[in-house]
Amino acid sequence: MIIDHPLLGPRDAAEFTYLGDATLINRPDPAAPDAADGFYEYLYLRDNPAGEHNELWYHEQGDRAWLVVSRNTLTHEITKVELARDVALRLGRDR
Amino acid sequence: MAEFNLRAEPFLGGFSHDYGGAMVEEVTDLSLISIAQPLNGRAALAKAVQSGLGCTLPAPGSSAVAENGDLRLLCLGMDSFLVINSGGMSYDRLAAKLDGAGYTTDQSDNWVALELSGTLAYAILERLCPIDLHPDVFPIGAFARTSIEHLNSIVLRQREDRFLLLCASSSATSFLHALTGSAVLIGLK
Amino acid sequence: MSQINRIKGGLIDRSQKLEFRFNGRVFHGHQGDTLASALLANGQRLVGRSFKYHRPRGIFTAGSEEPNALVQLRSGAFQEPNTRATVAQLFDGLEATSQNHIGSLDFDLMAAVDLMSPFLSAGFYYKTFMWPKAFWEKLYEPIIRKSAGLGSLSMREDPDVYDKGFLHCDILIIGAGPAGLSAALSAGRAGVRVILADEDFVLGGRLNSETFVVDGQPGGDWAARALAELASLPNVRIMARTTIWGAYDHGVFGALERRTDHLAQSAGHPRQILWRVTAKRSILAAGSIERPIAFGNNDRPGIMLAGAVRTYVNRFGVAPGKQVTVFTNNDDGWRTATDLAQKGVRISAIVDSRDIAPLTSLPDAEIVMGGRVVDTAGRKGISTCTLANGQKIKTDCLAVSGGWSPNVHLTCHQRGRPEWQSDIAAFVPGQNLPANMAVVGTANGLLTLGEALRSGHQIAEGTVSDLGFTAARHSAPVADNEASGVSAFWYVGESRKRAWLDFQNDVTVKDVKLAYAEGFRSVEHLKRYTTLGMATDQGKTANIPALAIMAECTGKTIPETGTTIFRPPYTPVPIGALAGRSRGKDFRPYRLTPSHKWAKQNGASFVEVGNWLRAQWYARAGEKGWRNSVDREVTMTRNSVGICDVTTLGKIDIQGRDAAQFLNRVYTNAFLKLPVGRVRYGLMLREDGIAYDDGTTARLGENHYVMTTTTANAGLVFQRLEFARQCLFPGLDVHLISVTDGWAQFAIAGPNSRKLVQKVVDGLDMSNEAFPFMACAETTVFGGTKARLFRISFSGEMAYEIAVPARLGNSMMQGLMEAGAKFDAVAYGTEALGVMRIEKGHAAGNELNGQTTALDLGLGGFMSKKKDYIGKTLSERAELTHEDAMRLVGFRPVERSKPLVAGAHFIAQGQEANTENDEGWMSSVAFSPTLGHSIGLGFIRRGHVRMGEVVTAYSPARGGNIAVEIVSPHFIDPEGGRQRG
Repeated sequence: MIIDHPLLGPRDAAEFTYLGDATLINRPDPAAPDAADGFYEYLYLRDNPAGEHNELWYHEQGDRAWLVVSRNTLTHEITKVELARDVALRLGRDR
Repeated sequence: MAEFNLRAEPFLGGFSHDYGGAMVEEVTDLSLISIAQPLNGRAALAKAVQSGLGCTLPAPGSSAVAENGDLRLLCLGMDSFLVINSGGMSYDRLAAKLDGAGYTTDQSDNWVALELSGTLAYAILERLCPIDLHPDVFPIGAFARTSIEHLNSIVLRQREDRFLLLCASSSATSFLHALTGSAVLIGLK
Repeated sequence: MSQINRIKGGLIDRSQKLEFRFNGRVFHGHQGDTLASALLANGQRLVGRSFKYHRPRGIFTAGSEEPNALVQLRSGAFQEPNTRATVAQLFDGLEATSQNHIGSLDFDLMAAVDLMSPFLSAGFYYKTFMWPKAFWEKLYEPIIRKSAGLGSLSMREDPDVYDKGFLHCDILIIGAGPAGLSAALSAGRAGVRVILADEDFVLGGRLNSETFVVDGQPGGDWAARALAELASLPNVRIMARTTIWGAYDHGVFGALERRTDHLAQSAGHPRQILWRVTAKRSILAAGSIERPIAFGNNDRPGIMLAGAVRTYVNRFGVAPGKQVTVFTNNDDGWRTATDLAQKGVRISAIVDSRDIAPLTSLPDAEIVMGGRVVDTAGRKGISTCTLANGQKIKTDCLAVSGGWSPNVHLTCHQRGRPEWQSDIAAFVPGQNLPANMAVVGTANGLLTLGEALRSGHQIAEGTVSDLGFTAARHSAPVADNEASGVSAFWYVGESRKRAWLDFQNDVTVKDVKLAYAEGFRSVEHLKRYTTLGMATDQGKTANIPALAIMAECTGKTIPETGTTIFRPPYTPVPIGALAGRSRGKDFRPYRLTPSHKWAKQNGASFVEVGNWLRAQWYARAGEKGWRNSVDREVTMTRNSVGICDVTTLGKIDIQGRDAAQFLNRVYTNAFLKLPVGRVRYGLMLREDGIAYDDGTTARLGENHYVMTTTTANAGLVFQRLEFARQCLFPGLDVHLISVTDGWAQFAIAGPNSRKLVQKVVDGLDMSNEAFPFMACAETTVFGGTKARLFRISFSGEMAYEIAVPARLGNSMMQGLMEAGAKFDAVAYGTEALGVMRIEKGHAAGNELNGQTTALDLGLGGFMSKKKDYIGKTLSERAELTHEDAMRLVGFRPVERSKPLVAGAHFIAQGQEANTENDEGWMSSVAFSPTLGHSIGLGFIRRGHVRMGEVVTAYSPARGGNIAVEIVSPHFIDPEGGRQRG
């Protein structure tokens, strides 16, 4: 596979390692009253879609950026690649 | 204090070999300094780099050369840079020039540097490096942080047929073995 | 023996006579021959025995689709089984042997199996080897293993070398036949980067096998000129002998280039190179494959595909027979007759299954329209064939054509399904092609030459402009469209004899019908039940006729019946090529510590720790085994001072205004108030609450820290920290960079460590007050060398770690040893390090095994209650904090002389050793030279409140049961007085 790194252009997937569902960015609020449930769902309950899937890839043999790659799990077509940092900021994780 | 003088030993003992068509040489006099751009501090860093190093701040994946020519600045990613300096400037002096606009770390001993040159340099790298190094897409000054024989490395094209290759210094022996192995497998001696 | 079947013409160099051996007999051929063409030239029709029935078999095709003529090439360690003789280029000195027979090829003892064939039909294995169960391991499996497979391995290491590489292009053109060449000319002239790859050693595809005319020139000449022009273009890379064997995601292709397969010796060059080709676009011009018609005894040597017979005649100057009969269901088969007749080869008969007017007439040749071959005879090769009307025709070569199937293999590699095209009675590539692939020529169902040339040109021009280039102004090469009429005709129903479909796996028409009769309907099931198409040729010539028969059985059409699809590789890829250089110690790169040279010179044995080679112990003269060395290293360290290279621990430079905040979130314990100049132990959890990694972090400046990690997790911790930085806490100003390789770091431990360190550090007050336990400083050593000094201890002794730039590391080791000489300083390796940490009760990799919590490890005190950190919430789960949880404690044998065994499980005394009574396990053991007996660390339920209790350490596989006493994990200096010094 080829991943089109938003900063560095197309790179072979062999330069990356895979983590999984990009929902891992959404670490629950540990101060919430239902934090234990939140973390349980965050960590253990994932969708396994046949189709579009947002997933985390790490450019290990490259710039060490975490990317959110939108990949179709049936065709491997990649429709979008973003810096995970930008996604996290958009989700308000800097607050 | 003990009567003993520490001696710096090049990672590959200053390896140099002319394969005829390709030359592999350890470069032992580079200072390498990483600069991390503070959060929201790009403008300040750009200014400090311009005034301190005489160099524009390059965009991710590209590099810039300082006015005096002996310093190249690579932008490795979203907020990290690498200075490659062959002018003998010490880490402390260089860090001081940035005046706190970036977080610096001495990387000189983190990397082993090899220069691969000659008309067959490209053919040697073709067996090792997943990046497209065709001069049309990887011209002089282009670089990539990528893998060479599974080793995390930086490939910088210095001239049409000259590449600077950096790899983690602890893997220097394996890295050299990969390059010399390639040279032999393309038929060089 | 002379080349009795050699005729004039062909692309062989008759001035070069090559000698080769087949089953020990000497033959001759010419440069440009394949092994198959040379064997045929010498009249050798029988080349092997079939897989299951040991039937005599000959050469069936002239290409990589060959199911029959698999031979063993070369000898000794170079021996290479299952090579298709039809693609093996002949060289002087080639040795080949036939496969799959016991005794000689002519008199195979296993041929008796053929007589048992009524018992060996489809599903034979499933039906026969079911019972009795006990027979499987002792009887059935050995028999099946012995009879399975074709050639044999040399069982020696392959002496050849292989390589890998990476190629990039704008357009990859797969196949250099007429359509591929036409496409390459258009693309090459437009200036785009082209790779033109073909599996053959002479490019041009069918143009070299036919008597076509292109642009007014003989086809072969036109191909040679086109190739010469392409070779002159710097933007075109022509790769002969290169098979594109797999089409992967996003324009990545696997290519196997055979560099020296055609030479007697590789002379140090890679035998083969496995390329990963990345192409913006690809044009598949893989041509088409002729398929046979099934009829009784259609597998005898001398029965060949009609197109292959033409290839042998036109390209190789070999007549596969002296009296050739053609059996066809299409127009193309007739060209075999006319081409051969033109070369002076006698055509006995043309049998066409169609009831139409003859396409041509040939003197001497009998023409039978609406005819069928029902049977053949001849012991080791065909001598007669019998027609449905009872007529017998004497023939030594039967050329069969069942029509041409587009070579859709690569279009299926991403689950693309071919579609049926009834006018050519074949599957063509469907809509679901690999991304950015276009198919041209006969591969796309355009079965005539004129169309092939035109489509190559047209598609390439479109692709060129898609890529933003301007097509050069030239027109497509021109050729006539030859007659290509075909009627679907798959097998001769009147045949009473076995009619083969899959020659390589010995599957017959009857097997397919039997599978249907037994209830198999899906083609995927048919394939697996009969093994049709599951041999190394993936059924290239067999699948479609079998499918047609299945369709007939079910009363459905072929498209309704469906088709199986192909998978990579297109043709077999040797394991050697897949391995490339990654053999032996080149399997993976290794890392050396800065003092590696010194260690080597001083008797070190090395151990692999991840990719690192670390000194395990340093043997001295007279020491009788590793334990002697390790005991000495421990004792000398504890008595005076020891030095160990600890560079391999991960070192991460952490800077930023929010670095403290960041550390406070990734470590379980508090980090906000660590003062500059101090070091703190830190523990990391996984988000699920399980302990992950530990180490120390030193604060070097206001916004500057350096973290250490365990050796094993260095890369992973860095990755996790980057995840935390970029994904979880992107609002923090914090920056990470690895400095593991940059600093050579040495532990200096023992009661004399301070004295030693004082000698090498430049003017730093080393008193306990000025530089206490857990202090750190940036300083200089040996008169001005930049260094970092930490007062930390893993051994439990007073200890320091000094780091200097890596290039100085080897010298530093010498310097430290020299400075320590008067204290009798000792270098110690990882074993002594391990012994001392067990003596001190420090957890390491064996304890942080991904199952244990901070509480289990006795590190509950490090879990801050005042802040959040990664893993906090879930570490508080009841399941991880209950009273009965595991606790890390120490163990010593009740009978002190007995050795403990790691991996032993703890059972209360007197209880039966079973899972229910399992209370925990021993994680680390060592012989403690300090205590004079074996000690262990382990986990046991409520261990911390069971001190003094005796339990059984149960290890049935290694040494049986032993009574052990639960003790504190801190075997030495539990109060920590030594390290605080």
